[in-house]
Amino acid sequence: MSRPLSVLIVEDEVLLAVELGFLVREAGCHEVGHALDSASAVELAQTLEPDIALVDVHLADGPTGVAAARQIAEGQGAIVLFMTANVKRLPEDLAGACGVIGKPYSDRAVRRALTYLARCLQDGAAPGPPPPGLALSERFVSRWGVDQLAQAV
Amino acid sequence: MADSLLAPRAGIDDPFAAAVHATRMSMAIVDAQAPDLPIVFVNDAFLRMTGYRRDEVIGRNCRFLQGPDTDGEVVKMLSRAIRQGEAANLDLLNYRKDGAPFWNALQISPVRDAGGQIVYFIGSQVDVTARKAAEAALEAAAAEQARTAQQALADRTALLHEVDHRVKNNLQLITSLLVLQTRRTQDDATQAALQSMLSRVSAIATVHRRLFQSHDLERFDVATFIRDLMGDVSSGREEVDIHLDLERVDIAAAQAAPLALAVNELVDNAFKHGLAPDRPGRLTIRVRRLNGHYVIEVCDDGPGLPETGEFEPGFGLTITNLLAQQLRATLAFEPGSPGVRAILKLPAHG
Repeated sequence: MSRPLSVLIVEDEVLLAVELGFLVREAGCHEVGHALDSASAVELAQTLEPDIALVDVHLADGPTGVAAARQIAEGQGAIVLFMTANVKRLPEDLAGACGVIGKPYSDRAVRRALTYLARCLQDGAAPGPPPPGLALSERFVSRWGVDQLAQAV
Repeated sequence: MADSLLAPRAGIDDPFAAAVHATRMSMAIVDAQAPDLPIVFVNDAFLRMTGYRRDEVIGRNCRFLQGPDTDGEVVKMLSRAIRQGEAANLDLLNYRKDGAPFWNALQISPVRDAGGQIVYFIGSQVDVTARKAAEAALEAAAAEQARTAQQALADRTALLHEVDHRVKNNLQLITSLLVLQTRRTQDDATQAALQSMLSRVSAIATVHRRLFQSHDLERFDVATFIRDLMGDVSSGREEVDIHLDLERVDIAAAQAAPLALAVNELVDNAFKHGLAPDRPGRLTIRVRRLNGHYVIEVCDDGPGLPETGEFEPGFGLTITNLLAQQLRATLAFEPGSPGVRAILKLPAHG
């Protein structure tokens, strides 16, 4: 891999964020920052320019994760991955996010998802169907050619 | 039998007219052959009901009783019946002389002469305002009840989502705590114990994720759970070839967690005793329905049962036996060919 994926963690539960930081490093990625609320999430996304932001729906300032995710996704070119227990509350277009991992997730599922997304970003195409536990949005399914993959199988 | 009403009575020329005058049912007769059907007769009950004097109504068409909220459709039905010379029966909103509205249950019938020509229409009116009000109140109450029920359902759904969300977050927190402590632990035995607890909590978490993903909150799909569970396990042990042979089997949601824990222990047991690390091995999980039972088999291709024919009863095996009891299931370990076949057999419901 050319360079490790830089990751911004947006999560108001500090213990989860710390553990997620370990998983990010174990997946060969690089944690660049951690935001507890939507305002600092958007700000950190602008200043740190991460490759990917892992965003919870419920943040320290309320259920603001969806709006923050949309701003980040439409902004600096970071892709957003939701990590939430609230999968049903997400809008149909996933607010521009590439996908979602439902809580409670397993550490393996997160590592697999990050490794997979790193490949997708590096190659601009998916190496295969998404691993168990990761659901991709329609937009990224077609962006990374996962729909073509499915047809080829 | 002959009509006896025509027998003479003192002071009464026409007994029919006397009876119609005296009845408490409001009545009116209109001339069917004169232009615009003028009223030619009303009884006293009609005058009491409408509040008009007799000289104010004779010669007029009945429509003067209608007002702003009278239903035009009902009036059209009435006109059509009159045009076609038919009887009619309808509820019409009318207005008294003082402007007060009342519900008039109107019945009209044509009256024919000897040649069959309609000469009159006779109408009788009953004030049904009280009945209409009761009906409206009943309807309003029913609508209110429906609204309340709908609100209660919406509240319940919202509450369920909130609880679901909190449970998931708490499970995530418990998982993360276990993983964090595992990372900090140097001692192998402690680390193994923490890992086992983590895998148990993860099994429960997998159940919970599945329970609320499905539309049916009462049933739990065992095959999908096992696929999820093994999806997580397999990536940790690449050298093990996992083979799933799963029939679709639904159990009651209340049994989901104990069954998931039991299956998790059996898989864990197979990995520990049957599938030595770094040795290629094969793990097979089968789920099928057999003679009123659900049979779940976890098979490895390892060294087989110990000489004694039983495993040492460790903590994992102890809780598996307890869970089997709770599920009213039987648990057996049989020699495979090679390896061990763990068989969990629980009664199927329905």
